[in-house]
Amino acid sequence: MATSGDLERRLMSDMDPELLEFLKSKVNSFIKWDLVRFFHENPNALDTAENVARAVGREVEAIEAELGELVGTGVLERQRLSDLRVYSLATDDSMRELINRFVLASDDRQFRVKAIYHMIRGMH
Amino acid sequence: MDDRVKTGIAGLDEMLGGGFLRGTANLLEGAPGTGKSTLGMQFIYNGIQKFDEPGIILTFEEFPLQYYRDAEAFGWPFQELEKANKLRVIMTSPEVSRADLASVGGRLESLAREIGAQRILVDSMSHFERLSQNPIELRTIIFAFINALKREGFTSLLTRESPALLGEGDVVDEDMAFVADSYILLRYVEIESAIRNALLVLKLRGSDHAKDIRQFEITGKGIEVQSKFEGREGILSGSPHRMVDSFVEAFVRR
Repeated sequence: MATSGDLERRLMSDMDPELLEFLKSKVNSFIKWDLVRFFHENPNALDTAENVARAVGREVEAIEAELGELVGTGVLERQRLSDLRVYSLATDDSMRELINRFVLASDDRQFRVKAIYHMIRGMH
Repeated sequence: MDDRVKTGIAGLDEMLGGGFLRGTANLLEGAPGTGKSTLGMQFIYNGIQKFDEPGIILTFEEFPLQYYRDAEAFGWPFQELEKANKLRVIMTSPEVSRADLASVGGRLESLAREIGAQRILVDSMSHFERLSQNPIELRTIIFAFINALKREGFTSLLTRESPALLGEGDVVDEDMAFVADSYILLRYVEIESAIRNALLVLKLRGSDHAKDIRQFEITGKGIEVQSKFEGREGILSGSPHRMVDSFVEAFVRR
Protein backbone atom coordinates (compact mmCIF):
# COMPACT_ATOMS: atom_id res chain seq x y z
CA MET A 1 0.00 0.00 0.00
CA ALA A 2 1.38 3.42 -1.01
CA THR A 3 2.19 5.78 1.84
CA SER A 4 2.05 9.59 1.73
CA GLY A 5 5.84 9.56 1.54
CA ASP A 6 5.66 7.46 -1.65
CA LEU A 7 3.16 9.90 -3.12
CA GLU A 8 5.39 12.85 -2.33
CA ARG A 9 8.45 11.13 -3.80
CA ARG A 10 6.50 10.37 -6.97
CA LEU A 11 5.16 13.92 -7.24
CA MET A 12 8.51 15.54 -6.70
CA SER A 13 10.71 13.04 -8.50
CA ASP A 14 10.77 14.82 -11.83
CA MET A 15 10.77 18.38 -10.49
CA ASP A 16 13.83 20.43 -11.24
CA PRO A 17 15.70 20.41 -7.88
CA GLU A 18 16.58 24.08 -8.21
CA LEU A 19 12.97 25.03 -8.82
CA LEU A 20 11.84 22.80 -5.97
CA GLU A 21 14.30 24.55 -3.67
CA PHE A 22 13.17 27.95 -4.98
CA LEU A 23 9.60 26.97 -4.21
CA LYS A 24 10.38 25.62 -0.76
CA SER A 25 12.61 28.41 0.42
CA LYS A 26 11.37 31.49 -1.43
CA VAL A 27 7.92 31.17 -2.98
CA ASN A 28 6.27 29.28 -0.15
CA SER A 29 2.84 30.97 -0.28
CA PHE A 30 0.24 31.78 -2.91
CA ILE A 31 0.67 35.51 -2.31
CA LYS A 32 4.42 35.26 -2.91
CA TRP A 33 3.70 33.30 -6.08
CA ASP A 34 1.42 36.14 -7.28
CA LEU A 35 4.04 38.71 -6.39
CA VAL A 36 6.82 36.84 -8.17
CA ARG A 37 4.66 36.56 -11.28
CA PHE A 38 3.77 40.26 -11.10
CA PHE A 39 7.41 41.36 -10.90
CA HIS A 40 8.42 38.86 -13.58
CA GLU A 41 5.81 40.30 -15.95
CA ASN A 42 6.81 43.84 -14.99
CA PRO A 43 10.57 43.55 -14.61
CA ASN A 44 11.07 47.31 -14.49
CA ALA A 45 8.30 47.93 -11.96
CA LEU A 46 9.31 50.09 -9.00
CA ASP A 47 6.54 50.81 -6.55
CA THR A 48 5.24 51.01 -3.01
CA ALA A 49 3.51 48.12 -1.24
CA GLU A 50 0.20 50.02 -1.57
CA ASN A 51 0.51 50.32 -5.35
CA VAL A 52 1.77 46.76 -5.79
CA ALA A 53 -1.23 45.57 -3.73
CA ARG A 54 -3.54 47.48 -6.07
CA ALA A 55 -1.83 46.01 -9.11
CA VAL A 56 -2.16 42.42 -7.90
CA GLY A 57 -5.66 42.96 -6.52
CA ARG A 58 -4.93 42.32 -2.83
CA GLU A 59 -5.00 44.23 0.44
CA VAL A 60 -1.73 45.91 1.37
CA GLU A 61 -1.88 44.27 4.81
CA ALA A 62 -1.89 40.89 3.07
CA ILE A 63 1.20 41.51 0.98
CA GLU A 64 3.47 43.72 3.05
CA ALA A 65 5.07 40.94 5.11
CA GLU A 66 5.35 38.73 2.02
CA LEU A 67 7.16 41.48 0.12
CA GLY A 68 9.54 41.77 3.06
CA GLU A 69 10.23 38.02 3.01
CA LEU A 70 10.87 38.10 -0.76
CA VAL A 71 13.38 40.88 -0.11
CA GLY A 72 14.95 38.73 2.62
CA THR A 73 15.42 35.83 0.23
CA GLY A 74 16.84 38.00 -2.54
CA VAL A 75 13.93 37.72 -4.96
CA LEU A 76 13.07 41.41 -4.63
CA GLU A 77 14.95 44.53 -3.67
CA ARG A 78 13.75 47.29 -1.40
CA GLN A 79 14.96 50.86 -1.31
CA ARG A 80 14.00 54.19 0.23
CA LEU A 81 13.03 57.04 -2.05
CA SER A 82 12.39 60.16 -0.04
CA ASP A 83 9.77 58.98 2.46
CA LEU A 84 8.65 56.06 0.30
CA ARG A 85 9.68 52.44 0.65
CA VAL A 86 9.66 50.89 -2.82
CA TYR A 87 10.08 47.38 -4.20
CA SER A 88 11.55 46.08 -7.43
CA LEU A 89 12.75 42.81 -8.92
CA ALA A 90 16.24 41.66 -7.94
CA THR A 91 18.86 42.94 -10.34
CA ASP A 92 21.04 39.86 -9.87
CA ASP A 93 21.16 37.99 -13.21
CA SER A 94 21.18 34.48 -11.73
CA MET A 95 18.14 35.28 -9.57
CA ARG A 96 16.29 36.73 -12.55
CA GLU A 97 17.12 33.60 -14.54
CA LEU A 98 15.78 31.39 -11.75
CA ILE A 99 12.58 33.46 -11.50
CA ASN A 100 12.17 33.25 -15.25
CA ARG A 101 12.52 29.46 -15.17
CA PHE A 102 10.06 29.20 -12.31
CA VAL A 103 7.39 31.32 -14.01
CA LEU A 104 7.81 29.51 -17.33
CA ALA A 105 7.59 26.14 -15.57
CA SER A 106 4.46 27.24 -13.72
CA ASP A 107 2.68 27.70 -17.04
CA ASP A 108 2.63 23.91 -17.16
CA ARG A 109 -0.37 22.36 -15.38
CA GLN A 110 1.58 19.35 -14.08
CA PHE A 111 4.19 21.61 -12.53
CA ARG A 112 1.49 23.76 -10.94
CA VAL A 113 -0.26 20.76 -9.41
CA LYS A 114 2.98 19.57 -7.88
CA ALA A 115 3.96 23.04 -6.71
CA ILE A 116 0.56 23.63 -5.11
CA TYR A 117 0.71 20.25 -3.37
CA HIS A 118 4.09 21.11 -2.01
CA MET A 119 3.04 24.60 -0.96
CA ILE A 120 -0.02 23.36 0.92
CA ARG A 121 2.06 20.69 2.57
CA GLY A 122 4.60 23.30 3.63
CA MET A 123 1.88 25.42 5.20
CA HIS A 124 1.03 22.71 7.73
CA MET B 1 18.74 75.69 -37.08
CA ASP B 2 16.18 74.08 -34.76
CA ASP B 3 17.00 70.62 -33.53
CA ARG B 4 13.76 68.73 -34.13
CA VAL B 5 12.66 65.38 -32.78
CA LYS B 6 10.45 63.92 -35.45
CA THR B 7 7.45 61.88 -34.43
CA GLY B 8 7.73 60.03 -37.73
CA ILE B 9 3.97 60.45 -38.13
CA ALA B 10 3.28 61.88 -41.55
CA GLY B 11 1.25 65.03 -41.31
CA LEU B 12 1.95 65.60 -37.61
CA ASP B 13 5.60 66.54 -38.11
CA GLU B 14 4.49 68.96 -40.79
CA MET B 15 1.96 70.51 -38.38
CA LEU B 16 4.73 70.84 -35.80
CA GLY B 17 7.06 72.62 -38.21
CA GLY B 18 9.31 69.56 -38.43
CA GLY B 19 8.74 67.85 -35.08
CA PHE B 20 9.03 68.58 -31.37
CA LEU B 21 11.92 70.72 -30.22
CA ARG B 22 14.58 68.50 -28.64
CA GLY B 23 14.48 68.23 -24.87
CA THR B 24 10.97 69.62 -24.55
CA ALA B 25 7.89 68.34 -22.73
CA ASN B 26 4.88 67.92 -24.96
CA LEU B 27 1.33 67.46 -23.74
CA LEU B 28 -1.12 65.29 -25.64
CA GLU B 29 -4.71 65.51 -24.46
CA GLY B 30 -7.78 63.63 -25.52
CA ALA B 31 -10.84 61.68 -24.42
CA PRO B 32 -10.57 57.93 -23.79
CA GLY B 33 -10.03 56.02 -27.02
CA THR B 34 -8.98 59.01 -29.12
CA GLY B 35 -5.54 57.48 -29.69
CA LYS B 36 -3.27 59.16 -27.14
CA SER B 37 -1.44 55.98 -26.16
CA THR B 38 -1.26 54.85 -29.79
CA LEU B 39 0.28 58.15 -30.85
CA GLY B 40 2.63 57.95 -27.87
CA MET B 41 3.70 54.39 -28.67
CA GLN B 42 4.21 55.38 -32.32
CA PHE B 43 6.41 58.30 -31.21
CA ILE B 44 8.54 55.86 -29.23
CA TYR B 45 8.56 53.13 -31.89
CA ASN B 46 9.43 55.53 -34.74
CA GLY B 47 12.15 57.01 -32.56
CA ILE B 48 13.77 53.59 -32.24
CA GLN B 49 13.18 52.30 -35.76
CA LYS B 50 13.50 55.40 -37.89
CA PHE B 51 15.79 57.68 -35.92
CA ASP B 52 17.85 55.34 -33.73
CA GLU B 53 16.64 57.04 -30.56
CA PRO B 54 15.87 54.51 -27.80
CA GLY B 55 12.88 55.25 -25.62
CA ILE B 56 11.10 54.66 -22.35
CA ILE B 57 7.43 54.20 -21.64
CA LEU B 58 6.52 55.21 -18.11
CA THR B 59 3.11 53.83 -17.31
CA PHE B 60 0.96 54.58 -14.29
CA GLU B 61 -2.03 52.57 -15.40
CA GLU B 62 -1.59 49.81 -17.93
CA PHE B 63 0.59 46.77 -17.42
CA PRO B 64 3.55 46.38 -19.81
CA LEU B 65 1.85 43.29 -21.28
CA GLN B 66 -1.01 45.50 -22.43
CA TYR B 67 1.43 47.76 -24.28
CA TYR B 68 3.13 44.74 -25.84
CA ARG B 69 -0.24 43.48 -27.08
CA ASP B 70 -1.44 46.86 -28.31
CA ALA B 71 1.86 47.55 -30.05
CA GLU B 72 1.89 44.09 -31.65
CA ALA B 73 -1.47 44.90 -33.29
CA PHE B 74 0.31 47.68 -35.20
CA GLY B 75 3.30 45.46 -36.00
CA TRP B 76 5.56 47.10 -33.40
CA PRO B 77 7.51 44.35 -31.61
CA PHE B 78 8.00 46.04 -28.23
CA GLN B 79 9.18 42.90 -26.43
CA GLU B 80 11.91 42.36 -29.01
CA LEU B 81 12.91 46.01 -28.72
CA GLU B 82 13.19 45.60 -24.95
CA LYS B 83 15.40 42.55 -25.42
CA ALA B 84 17.53 44.58 -27.85
CA ASN B 85 17.92 47.27 -25.16
CA LYS B 86 16.19 49.88 -27.26
CA LEU B 87 13.10 50.21 -25.09
CA ARG B 88 12.04 49.97 -21.46
CA VAL B 89 8.43 49.82 -20.32
CA ILE B 90 8.33 50.86 -16.67
CA MET B 91 5.28 50.42 -14.53
CA THR B 92 5.25 52.66 -11.50
CA SER B 93 3.26 55.46 -9.88
CA PRO B 94 3.50 59.26 -10.00
CA GLU B 95 4.70 59.52 -6.39
CA VAL B 96 7.48 56.97 -6.92
CA SER B 97 8.66 58.33 -10.28
CA ARG B 98 8.67 61.83 -8.83
CA ALA B 99 10.81 60.72 -5.85
CA ASP B 100 12.97 58.57 -8.13
CA LEU B 101 13.74 61.46 -10.47
CA ALA B 102 14.49 63.73 -7.54
CA SER B 103 17.09 61.29 -6.20
CA VAL B 104 20.65 61.06 -7.53
CA GLY B 105 21.27 57.94 -9.59
CA GLY B 106 17.62 56.89 -9.51
CA ARG B 107 16.13 53.94 -11.33
CA LEU B 108 14.80 55.93 -14.29
CA GLU B 109 18.12 57.71 -14.67
CA SER B 110 20.08 54.45 -14.70
CA LEU B 111 17.65 52.71 -17.07
CA ALA B 112 17.83 55.70 -19.41
CA ARG B 113 21.64 55.63 -19.34
CA GLU B 114 21.66 51.84 -19.82
CA ILE B 115 19.87 52.07 -23.18
CA GLY B 116 20.73 55.66 -24.13
CA ALA B 117 17.07 56.69 -24.04
CA GLN B 118 16.25 60.00 -25.65
CA ARG B 119 12.47 59.84 -25.77
CA ILE B 120 9.94 59.14 -23.08
CA LEU B 121 6.20 58.59 -23.08
CA VAL B 122 4.48 59.30 -19.75
CA ASP B 123 1.05 57.66 -19.78
CA SER B 124 -0.72 59.40 -18.20
CA MET B 125 -0.20 62.69 -16.37
CA SER B 126 -3.82 62.55 -15.19
CA HIS B 127 -2.60 60.31 -12.35
CA PHE B 128 -0.61 63.18 -10.88
CA GLU B 129 -3.90 64.81 -9.98
CA ARG B 130 -4.28 62.47 -7.03
CA LEU B 131 -1.04 63.70 -5.47
CA SER B 132 -2.52 66.96 -4.28
CA GLN B 133 -5.89 68.66 -4.07
CA ASN B 134 -4.13 71.99 -3.91
CA PRO B 135 -3.76 73.35 -7.48
CA ILE B 136 -0.70 75.43 -6.61
CA GLU B 137 1.07 72.46 -5.02
CA LEU B 138 0.05 70.23 -7.93
CA ARG B 139 1.46 72.70 -10.42
CA THR B 140 4.74 72.77 -8.47
CA ILE B 141 4.88 68.96 -8.46
CA ILE B 142 4.23 68.73 -12.22
CA PHE B 143 6.68 71.54 -12.94
CA ALA B 144 9.43 69.74 -10.96
CA PHE B 145 8.65 66.42 -12.67
CA ILE B 146 8.81 67.95 -16.15
CA ASN B 147 12.03 69.76 -15.31
CA ALA B 148 13.55 66.49 -14.11
CA LEU B 149 12.65 64.87 -17.45
CA LYS B 150 14.32 67.77 -19.25
CA ARG B 151 17.37 67.51 -17.00
CA GLU B 152 17.73 63.91 -18.13
CA GLY B 153 17.68 65.14 -21.71
CA PHE B 154 14.41 63.47 -22.69
CA THR B 155 12.06 64.74 -25.33
CA SER B 156 8.86 63.74 -23.62
CA LEU B 157 5.31 63.12 -24.67
CA LEU B 158 2.90 63.39 -21.75
CA THR B 159 -0.63 62.14 -22.20
CA ARG B 160 -3.56 63.57 -20.31
CA GLU B 161 -7.12 62.33 -20.27
CA SER B 162 -9.86 64.76 -21.10
CA PRO B 163 -13.20 63.96 -19.46
CA ALA B 164 -15.40 65.17 -22.33
CA LEU B 165 -16.04 62.63 -25.07
CA LEU B 166 -17.42 65.19 -27.48
CA GLY B 167 -17.23 68.94 -27.44
CA GLU B 168 -14.89 71.33 -25.77
CA GLY B 169 -15.38 70.27 -22.17
CA ASP B 170 -12.35 71.12 -20.10
CA VAL B 171 -10.39 72.13 -23.19
CA VAL B 172 -7.43 73.75 -21.57
CA ASP B 173 -5.94 72.61 -18.30
CA GLU B 174 -4.14 75.85 -17.64
CA ASP B 175 -1.59 74.48 -15.19
CA MET B 176 -0.49 71.57 -17.33
CA ALA B 177 -0.64 73.61 -20.56
CA PHE B 178 1.44 76.34 -18.94
CA VAL B 179 4.34 74.08 -18.05
CA ALA B 180 4.29 72.04 -21.27
CA ASP B 181 6.20 73.28 -24.31
CA SER B 182 3.60 72.11 -26.75
CA TYR B 183 -0.03 71.16 -26.48
CA ILE B 184 -1.81 68.81 -28.86
CA LEU B 185 -5.51 68.04 -28.63
CA LEU B 186 -7.25 64.94 -29.96
CA ARG B 187 -11.01 65.17 -30.30
CA TYR B 188 -13.99 63.15 -31.43
CA VAL B 189 -16.11 65.01 -33.95
CA GLU B 190 -19.57 64.08 -35.16
CA ILE B 191 -20.13 64.68 -38.87
CA GLU B 192 -23.25 63.44 -40.63
CA SER B 193 -23.94 60.83 -37.96
CA ALA B 194 -20.42 59.43 -38.02
CA ILE B 195 -17.62 59.90 -35.50
CA ARG B 196 -14.37 61.24 -36.91
CA ASN B 197 -11.11 62.07 -35.19
CA ALA B 198 -9.64 65.56 -35.09
CA LEU B 199 -6.17 66.75 -34.13
CA LEU B 200 -5.08 70.28 -33.32
CA VAL B 201 -1.72 71.72 -32.28
CA LEU B 202 -2.82 74.36 -29.81
CA LYS B 203 0.60 75.57 -28.73
CA LEU B 204 4.24 75.06 -29.68
CA ARG B 205 6.59 77.20 -27.65
CA GLY B 206 9.45 78.72 -29.61
CA SER B 207 8.18 77.73 -33.03
CA ASP B 208 5.50 78.32 -35.58
CA HIS B 209 2.98 75.53 -36.12
CA ALA B 210 -0.10 74.69 -38.17
CA LYS B 211 -3.24 76.29 -36.77
CA ASP B 212 -5.77 74.21 -38.66
CA ILE B 213 -7.69 71.24 -37.33
CA ARG B 214 -6.79 68.03 -39.14
CA GLN B 215 -8.57 64.74 -39.49
CA PHE B 216 -6.72 61.61 -38.51
CA GLU B 217 -7.30 57.89 -38.59
CA ILE B 218 -6.00 55.02 -36.51
CA THR B 219 -5.03 52.48 -39.16
CA GLY B 220 -3.33 49.10 -38.90
CA LYS B 221 -0.03 50.94 -39.07
CA GLY B 222 -0.80 53.55 -36.44
CA ILE B 223 -1.96 57.14 -36.62
CA GLU B 224 -2.26 58.83 -40.00
CA VAL B 225 -2.88 62.56 -40.02
CA GLN B 226 -4.88 63.64 -43.02
CA SER B 227 -6.25 66.83 -44.51
CA LYS B 228 -7.98 69.57 -42.59
CA PHE B 229 -11.73 69.71 -42.20
CA GLU B 230 -12.70 71.67 -45.30
CA GLY B 231 -15.82 73.79 -45.30
CA ARG B 232 -16.67 73.07 -41.65
CA GLU B 233 -16.60 75.21 -38.58
CA GLY B 234 -17.20 74.60 -34.90
CA ILE B 235 -15.03 71.45 -35.02
CA LEU B 236 -14.02 71.68 -31.37
CA SER B 237 -17.65 71.85 -30.32
CA GLY B 238 -17.81 68.18 -31.33
CA SER B 239 -20.66 68.74 -33.79
CA PRO B 240 -19.42 71.03 -36.55
CA HIS B 241 -21.66 72.48 -39.22
CA ARG B 242 -21.00 73.33 -42.79
CA MET B 243 -19.82 76.88 -43.33
CA VAL B 244 -22.31 77.27 -46.15
CA ASP B 245 -25.14 76.58 -43.66
CA SER B 246 -23.79 79.28 -41.35
CA PHE B 247 -23.71 81.66 -44.28
CA VAL B 248 -27.29 80.84 -45.20
CA GLU B 249 -28.29 81.20 -41.54
CA ALA B 250 -26.60 84.57 -41.22
CA PHE B 251 -27.46 86.22 -44.48
CA VAL B 252 -30.02 84.42 -46.59
CA ARG B 253 -32.70 83.60 -44.03
CA ARG B 254 -32.78 87.04 -42.46
